[in-house]
Amino acid sequence: MNIWDPEKERYGLLAPLIGTLMTSIIATLTALILSLSLSITISEYLKGVLKNALSITIEFMSGLPTVIYSLWGIQYAVPILRDHLMLPLYNHFQFIPLFSCRPLSGFSVLSAGLVIGISIIPYLTALIHESYSLIPIAYREACLGIGATRYETIRILLGLCKPAVIAAVILGLARAMGETTIAAALVGNSMTTSACLFTPSYTVSALIASQYANAQLYRYAEPVLYSAALAILIIALTLSLIGLNMLSKWRVKILA
Amino acid sequence: MHKTRAIKDRLFTLYILTTSTLALIPVLHLIFVIVIRGFDSFVEGGIKFLTDVPPTPLSTELGGIGPSLLGTLILTATSLPITILIAFFAAVLANEFPNNPISKTVDIISRSFTSIPTIVVSMTVYLLVVVPMRTYSAIASSIALTIIALPYAYAITSAAIRQVPLMYREAAYSLGMTRWTTIYKVVVPITRRMLSGCVLITMARIMGETAALMFTAGRFRTGISLQLDRPIDAIPLLIFDYALTPYPILHKVAWGAALLLIIIYFIIFLAVKTIVKEVKL
Repeated sequence: MNIWDPEKERYGLLAPLIGTLMTSIIATLTALILSLSLSITISEYLKGVLKNALSITIEFMSGLPTVIYSLWGIQYAVPILRDHLMLPLYNHFQFIPLFSCRPLSGFSVLSAGLVIGISIIPYLTALIHESYSLIPIAYREACLGIGATRYETIRILLGLCKPAVIAAVILGLARAMGETTIAAALVGNSMTTSACLFTPSYTVSALIASQYANAQLYRYAEPVLYSAALAILIIALTLSLIGLNMLSKWRVKILA
Repeated sequence: MHKTRAIKDRLFTLYILTTSTLALIPVLHLIFVIVIRGFDSFVEGGIKFLTDVPPTPLSTELGGIGPSLLGTLILTATSLPITILIAFFAAVLANEFPNNPISKTVDIISRSFTSIPTIVVSMTVYLLVVVPMRTYSAIASSIALTIIALPYAYAITSAAIRQVPLMYREAAYSLGMTRWTTIYKVVVPITRRMLSGCVLITMARIMGETAALMFTAGRFRTGISLQLDRPIDAIPLLIFDYALTPYPILHKVAWGAALLLIIIYFIIFLAVKTIVKEVKL
């Protein structure tokens, strides 16, 4: 359960496991919503110089060291999110369990999730955009032929690359789970599980980052951390194999 | 056109453009903030910011990031060549000789390694290298960085090799070239620019990695050390550690280091763009 007491050699991994799950789901959802729009903007709404500029910007973003997001997160993103997102949500929607606790420092599952989400936007955008532009032009011509509006065309084309988008989400989830620097800096490092998104919690990688260095001093702390690492490793590997598999199957199918 | 369809189309456009802007705002803000805050630190630290040791939490002098900068350079110089060499041969093996079990295993392992959490790599290297050596070291850090950068280098190198059309290989074979001659006389020269791009992208990846160094580097930042079997430091690790402290002066150092990291990354990115853009087949 939620105990981390090396003195008494009692440990529990529930909080970091649930924290990992919650942050990576928040991160992937945020990234999905924003990257879908970004990839549609690139492929449907922009042309020429602007299109080039946006895709180069996104490519630049995709290589930014994540530690920069954690520095920015600590000093800017967390206070901004607390004052302009968490407090208003708490004040007006307390009756929803997700928003039912008062945000104190702002370091929480929600902040970590959102900033990790921001950091994986370029990755998801690249995956979705690549799949979207793989769709043979015949489909687009067919849409134009029946007089579909741009909105209707995009809906039909997105429907075609649905498996690729799902694969991108799975790959994004795998990446968000393994993210260490942002999670360790923003999740709040506290052994609590709560339905509320504003409470500080732990993720497995944040737990390892903060406890592994001292774990040798105790008898069972190290093995516990290894088992946590193993769990996250297996989940991440499985997810990424499933995602890559789906993606390559879809590519073969759409190009046939 | 029916009116509701036109309205739906407009609303959809509005939604897409708003959310796209929303997606870009955080990163633009981040870069803006780093440039402003980092520039302040640069001005305050002067040229010594690149050479001095970092300040203590209570000192008034800003100091610098000399040990970390040197550490990043040493780690990059030691792990990049090894990474590139292994990745290149693995990519050649998997793409030019695809029909044997070794190639298939190499391909699957490399692709799934991309998703391994970097902190797990750090733990493993700690157990296998740091514990037997009884000290944190540049060697351990280089090994961890190599393990993390390999799958990336492999993926982009394979993509580059795969871009060479089959015709060129067939032409080479018809002249009686062996497979290896084909690779270094035909495939490598054609993909020369892309391969140099791969080297640079891998370099950027190695320079920005933090978690891999957490249990391998040992955070030696009080002096200059050129020994590979002693503890070392790196810029990303310094940024991470200092960002988590409550001291304003250490935050200042972290912002300066972050700006330096972004400038280096930007230069690498520009180089990749100018080199790779001119690929013609």
